[in-house]
Amino acid sequence: MEQQQIFEIIVNNTKELLPELESHNFSQSDSLRDLGANSVDRSELIMMTLEEMDANIPMAQMAKANNIGELAQIMFEQQA
Amino acid sequence: MRTVGIEAMNAFAGTAFLDVKKLAEHRNLDTTRFNNLLMREKTVALPYEDPITFAVNAAKPIVDALTPEEKDRIEMVITCSESSFDFGKSMSTYCHDLLGLNRNCRLFELKNACYSGVAGIQMAVNFILAQVSPGAKILVIATDISRFMVEEGGDALSADWSFAEPSGGSGAVAMLISDQPKVFQIDVGANGYYGYEVMDTCRPSPDADAGDTDLSLLSYLDCCENAFLEYKKRVEEADFAKSFSYMAYHTPFGGMVKGAHRNMMRKLAKAKPKDIEQDFNQRVTPGLELCQRVGNIMGATASLSIASTIANGDFETPKRIACFSYGSGCCSEFFSGIVTKEGQQKLLEQDIAGVLDKRYELTMEEYDGILENSNALRFGTRNLELDAEFIPQARKALGREVLFLKRINEFHREYEWVS
Repeated sequence: MEQQQIFEIIVNNTKELLPELESHNFSQSDSLRDLGANSVDRSELIMMTLEEMDANIPMAQMAKANNIGELAQIMFEQQA
Repeated sequence: MRTVGIEAMNAFAGTAFLDVKKLAEHRNLDTTRFNNLLMREKTVALPYEDPITFAVNAAKPIVDALTPEEKDRIEMVITCSESSFDFGKSMSTYCHDLLGLNRNCRLFELKNACYSGVAGIQMAVNFILAQVSPGAKILVIATDISRFMVEEGGDALSADWSFAEPSGGSGAVAMLISDQPKVFQIDVGANGYYGYEVMDTCRPSPDADAGDTDLSLLSYLDCCENAFLEYKKRVEEADFAKSFSYMAYHTPFGGMVKGAHRNMMRKLAKAKPKDIEQDFNQRVTPGLELCQRVGNIMGATASLSIASTIANGDFETPKRIACFSYGSGCCSEFFSGIVTKEGQQKLLEQDIAGVLDKRYELTMEEYDGILENSNALRFGTRNLELDAEFIPQARKALGREVLFLKRINEFHREYEWVS
């Protein structure tokens, strides 16, 4: 799966988790924390995204992502 | 096959608690997303409570119910903790003395963050199965406290640490492990363990925690899946959705368990969200009840979840419970056992929830006073007389005899029973 596609899945899942962001204009540098997602929300988002990608990647690796773009990049690089 | 497991168990979670929602408001935390954390109350350790008082108050009713002959068969006391106040001397020595046990007894302590209690259970189980001392009993006491003096400075390990204060509790679970598993009969050999080095949460200095909540959550999720997959290698017919009537998860806070269960059900059972919600309510919430009233008691939390499951589940017919323990750093284990109606009745005699109901509810002013006062009980305190007049309502709240710390004399801790 292309990195841009993964980024879009993350954006859609973020909107599903936090409906108040429906009209937000997402960028690669957006931090989930700054958007109002807590740790539970963030882990939930990672689970949802990996499921949609049908990828089985150790999730602990995702903790070092500082923003949505970095998260998409880690997922892109680690996918089988 | 030999039988082994928990003969008796009890939990003790102090004399004072805090309503976590009120704390979140008091601290001006963002409460809009607070509900999905599923936190309710937490026990707060008062200055005259320490890991020993929690441990002994939990173990005393179990030991008192034994005959002198049975009591003399306790040949090992294992304390399981990350809250000890001495690098060398094990807290099991204090517990052994305060409980008046036989001196022909092994005394030592185990540590691996929140995994310590289950590590203790498994070591005790192996001692019984090895049959090196037939008929012997082991007292495993998982005991941990939170005293909030959060490590300052440095961003890497302080991100989102506002989770820690509302979730950090204090308490102990005592378990008598023997070949008479009246409360919880272990499925022998049915263990999946999984561990690796990760810097998620830790206690890098004597009185402070540090951690990366996201990393810890994600590591917990990875371990839960991998520990179960290892269990399934050893128990081929195991089915995550069908083999266990209840699931007792290590519960740092309810929201984390809900996320983990959802992940497992999605991945292993391909379940739909509505079915997962129903399954969570049916199989997991009985184990959360007590944990949500005490907060995260680290090494004792997985055992508290087992106790909560046994107390709140339906055991008209014998049922299998699965337990998942995760300790930061990290090590994890998935194992299982059987509970009967008689086992449930035996546990309910301890009235764990009834004792929790009697705890004194702290005001925010009193709570903040404890945080300042907790400086008095820093690691390495050499001499100190504890103030019995500090929040005296809590000392009488339970309406029964409770052990408290009286003084520290040249590093040696002295305790007193107060009724």
